[in-house]
Amino acid sequence: MVIQTTVYSIIIITVFMALLLLYINRKLKAFDPLSKPTGIVLLVMIFAEMIDKMVKDKTDERFAKYLTPYIMTVISYIFLANIAGLFSLDTPTSNYSVTLVLAAITCILIEVCSLKARGGKAYLKTWFEPFAPFVVLNVLSKFSTLLSLSLRLFGNILSGGILMSVIYQMLAAVSNKIPLIGKLNIFGIILAPVLHFYFDLFSGAMQSYIFTILSLSFIGKELPQKE
Amino acid sequence: MEKALIGFAATLCVLGGCITGIMEGKVAITAVEQIGKNPDAASKIQSMAIIGAAISETCAIYCLLTAFLIIFILGA
Repeated sequence: MVIQTTVYSIIIITVFMALLLLYINRKLKAFDPLSKPTGIVLLVMIFAEMIDKMVKDKTDERFAKYLTPYIMTVISYIFLANIAGLFSLDTPTSNYSVTLVLAAITCILIEVCSLKARGGKAYLKTWFEPFAPFVVLNVLSKFSTLLSLSLRLFGNILSGGILMSVIYQMLAAVSNKIPLIGKLNIFGIILAPVLHFYFDLFSGAMQSYIFTILSLSFIGKELPQKE
Repeated sequence: MEKALIGFAATLCVLGGCITGIMEGKVAITAVEQIGKNPDAASKIQSMAIIGAAISETCAIYCLLTAFLIIFILGA
């Protein structure tokens, strides 16, 4: 059996996130509600408020209590996973099984929220809308959500990684032409930070935001309209 | 010869991304225009524009994945 190298980086990221959350939890417990929040407490408050507003905007008020913690976990996990390349770890999201699991959780969440909001009979009816033979198309559309959500994250991060490695090879080949100091890969030192900023930081933050906001709007779309 | 053909096939695949690029630019242009006309709705327009761009980007990503599959499976 071959253990893929992304497994190790998943473990490292999970342990790091757990330690960070424990630290934040201790800070929050020691925090006096009447005083002014500073430092990491302020950051966490702004973050939680932002996600809470996003969830209430896209879905129902009733589900905000359950969805907000999940969305916060997912957005921070995907962001940490996307920027893992900066710390010379393998990017977990460039492994298709990771993104497939994340998208599968979203798909199950869509069904559960729809079931909770409508109740059993009305939920079963949604599978046969607008009339009975459409059940085939409805089942196919559930799978298309799963595929498009997982492949979007996977393709974006994988293409960034492959482009970076191609650019590194090209720059190394170009700087090899220079005598004496050519082995140092000078062009790589100059150009790579800018590209890392775009492909790892910007693209990583953007993709984690897009994944969560798409999950939320898919969940909100399946809920019945408010009167 | 065969390798050149495989490279050409991958290039043709990636060409599908051209149209996606143009239309995603159009999403941004329309969003900016509408925000200029109606600044109060800026946050709503922004999130809708991001969702629309992300969904239409799926097409380009499928093109890219097909190109990767052609290169790594046929070319290996």
